[in-house]
Amino acid sequence: MTLTAGVDSDARQIALGLRQRDLSLLDALVERYQYRLVRYLIYVLGRRDLVDDLVQETWLRVLERGSSYDGRSRFEPWLFAIARNLAIDHLRGRRVVSLDTNDDEKREGLREGPASDAPSPFALAARTEDAQALAHSLQTLEPNYREALVLRFQEELSLQEISVVTGAPVSTISSRIHRGLDMLRSQLEGGSHGNR
Amino acid sequence: MGTDRHEKFRHMIDQTLAGGIPVPQQQALREHLQSCVPCQQYRAANHRVVAALGGFSFEVDPSLNAKVSAKLQLQERQIKERGDQATRAGRRRWVVSCVLALMLTTAGAFLDLRLSGLIASVFDLERMHLRQEVVAFWIMPSLCLFLLFPLLPLLSAGGTNRKERNL
Repeated sequence: MTLTAGVDSDARQIALGLRQRDLSLLDALVERYQYRLVRYLIYVLGRRDLVDDLVQETWLRVLERGSSYDGRSRFEPWLFAIARNLAIDHLRGRRVVSLDTNDDEKREGLREGPASDAPSPFALAARTEDAQALAHSLQTLEPNYREALVLRFQEELSLQEISVVTGAPVSTISSRIHRGLDMLRSQLEGGSHGNR
Repeated sequence: MGTDRHEKFRHMIDQTLAGGIPVPQQQALREHLQSCVPCQQYRAANHRVVAALGGFSFEVDPSLNAKVSAKLQLQERQIKERGDQATRAGRRRWVVSCVLALMLTTAGAFLDLRLSGLIASVFDLERMHLRQEVVAFWIMPSLCLFLLFPLLPLLSAGGTNRKERNL
């Protein structure tokens, strides 16, 4: 099955393919979303070492639970929600947790930041001067803020869609974006003043 | 112009980036930005942060897609095998149920035809009533079960197909 343009029909096509566990569709989805999934998980975890394993687990979960995607909304929020739940389970050392559980504590947050001696993935990935200036701040920024920023400005999800991914209210998402921007802006302004 | 007023417009600038603001506020913000340099700078700084977020390029292991694809195929095979096992077990149960229902029906019919006279005389019952009760409470129910069991898989498959058509 190939993917065609048009958000609505695209989502329905994906839902149908997932229900039939169509592996060629899954390969196309992997091709299409792999980089975005990797980037999202790096922003969520703030580290690179766990990401590849989680990406694989995410796609396996997509195959397993594909029939629960109904195609009425975009595929991305559903995919990121799966990846997020797996990331949180991983951080807490719980390998198997049902996605159907409505665990408020789990949905609420990514408070357990990584403690790793590895170099910051943001420093390694910075390709512009401003990105380099932001790399350290991003690493130290609270994961919930980083997540809101990447979903809004890189993935271009709406506040409602981000709310679906994170399980947090829209007002909380809005405030996370606001605070995240605030912190990064002051870092960027401070950095550029320092450079001058 | 007071700081509060700037704060209000800066909040609107943030909201515009976060998810948009209503049209009247957009108009007010546009007008304010035309004459307010600090707010213009604030907006430019925000845009600079957003642009900077696009300045990261993460490396992805080139073999990751192939690894995922291989794992998906393996998982799919395992799911299919589990499904096949469940189907085989279900089919066995179904055949056993059908045979039991058929045996019950046959036993009921035998009792009705051959033994009803004997039982009626032993227990001092009316033979016709006994035969009617055997037919109503034994032969008919077991015959219905025998006829219904083969239809269950068909009904179940029909339900699944309907769900897929509704997507």
